[in-house]
Amino acid sequence: MCRAGPALLALALWGVAARAQQPRAPARALLARAESLWHRIGLQDSAAARETLRQRRARRFDAGAVTTLLPEAVGAATGSRVAAGAWAYVRDAVPVDFLAGRMAVGLAATDVEATVRAEGLGGRIRIPVGVEPGPDSLADGWTVAAELARSYRQTLDSTWRVWLPLDMGLAWTMRREGPEAVRELMQGETRAGGDCLAGLISGCRRWLGLDAAAPATRFRPAELRVLVSGRWFPSRAAVGLAHDCTVGSDFACLRLVALGFLPPIPAGPVPLASFAGYVRTRGPKGALLRALADRNGGVGDRFARAVGVPEDSLVRGWRSWVMTGGGQPRVTANLRDAWPAVLVAGLLILAASRSGRWR
Amino acid sequence: MFRRILQSQWKALRLPVILLAVLAFALPLLTVTYGGRLEGAPAGRVAQWLYGAQQIGLLLPGFAVLVGVLTGIGAWTSDHAGKHVYALSLPLSRARYVWLRFAAGAALLLAPTAALGVGSLAAAASVTLPSGVHAYPLQLTARFFLAVLVCYAVFFAISISTRRAALVVLGVIGGLLLADGVLTVMDLRATVTPTVLMWLTNWPGPLSILIGRWALFDV
Repeated sequence: MCRAGPALLALALWGVAARAQQPRAPARALLARAESLWHRIGLQDSAAARETLRQRRARRFDAGAVTTLLPEAVGAATGSRVAAGAWAYVRDAVPVDFLAGRMAVGLAATDVEATVRAEGLGGRIRIPVGVEPGPDSLADGWTVAAELARSYRQTLDSTWRVWLPLDMGLAWTMRREGPEAVRELMQGETRAGGDCLAGLISGCRRWLGLDAAAPATRFRPAELRVLVSGRWFPSRAAVGLAHDCTVGSDFACLRLVALGFLPPIPAGPVPLASFAGYVRTRGPKGALLRALADRNGGVGDRFARAVGVPEDSLVRGWRSWVMTGGGQPRVTANLRDAWPAVLVAGLLILAASRSGRWR
Repeated sequence: MFRRILQSQWKALRLPVILLAVLAFALPLLTVTYGGRLEGAPAGRVAQWLYGAQQIGLLLPGFAVLVGVLTGIGAWTSDHAGKHVYALSLPLSRARYVWLRFAAGAALLLAPTAALGVGSLAAAASVTLPSGVHAYPLQLTARFFLAVLVCYAVFFAISISTRRAALVVLGVIGGLLLADGVLTVMDLRATVTPTVLMWLTNWPGPLSILIGRWALFDV
């Protein structure tokens, strides 16, 4: 009896539980509907995932010698615009044979291998471009052009790698960066910059780092002390030199430049880009390309050879060009300025004489 | 007749014109407060000096507007005060009277312009410029006169315009702003007001003379 009791109780409980597990008719219908909905959502999700993958599939866009693989989502018009924009930036600065061996690949693009195989791009070096697949993220192709320029810059000799801005200054425009270049020249504290501003071409050469001379000759120790203060140095030796420089050792200051712990050129990237921009836009066609391909002498020699003029003439032309905002005289009051003013004044007087408060 | 109108205008405007002339004389001289001997000057001195010249140059278009506003509005002050009775009593057509008034006002503009010219020449004569830096006293003076003339003509015409003309001008300005607002709400990228301003201030826009380079000393 004592053993049969628990057994009977267990049997009763099993019976109740089994009955409870059997859903009633309305509940069964609801359950079926829920399962159907769940299945449909699953299908939709996988369709959305497939669509997302399709949108991100790499698609080829070409312009000139620039080849890009961008996500499908950027659209045909934007993709073509980006490639054309990138080509416009690099066409006079990066050699065609370099570009022909590369392709810019958007990081967000998928199925790149399939596209590379389908388009026969297997032999090209891929240059990743960090862009999102949205239509606005690539701007006018500058993102692609900057990566191509960086990549090309790495192939140049050490003289160019030191001198050229990271993106080779290809986006430099007189309207946007011209005033900044002049401001840097005016507000700079270096003797070279002051001399350049005062009209000494040798000062401009030193300020822009165009001479092949040692970088230390472009600075005075006092200027280097200003640069040293507040700067972080990676090694104990450099910290020691920086300390010696700060407390008055000219040799330590110059040594810091020679060892590469301080910038070797007084001018910043914007004025340097302005010089490259001057050669590119005002020099003969392909001058910047030729200069970058040249491996002999200082930067100034290379630019001068590429343009075909003496270095001093080139620097003088640049100084006048950048400081006058593109070659315009600073202050003008000629017929061109006068006629709109006189015309407007005349029209206003004519209008005022024809009707007024007492007519 | 011109002499009489000039005399009446001078009487009404002599104080502001004299003050403006003094200011016009002083402004270019501010440029040389850093000193005059710049040949072989230490590093940074020429830079500071040119920078100072540029900053003073930035004041000049604003000063030209001020001169234009004061003389343009002032040209009609006595007429407005007398309810135009004096003008109506003269044996002159309205058109001729307006031209005479304008010419008299423009003659008064010569005082601040000449003062600016003298100040600029004095400033230019007091410095020894390094090679590559030039002085532009005559160009600056001529540019100043053109700018003042435009501003004077604008405010001269506004002062004598009818209420209807004033409403039209205000309506156009309001319409431009409204159009910009609508375009913004519709999330369109086009803008109207900046485009119109660009048109006005870029050559051959009527206000282009106010924009551009105004430094007395430059490269």
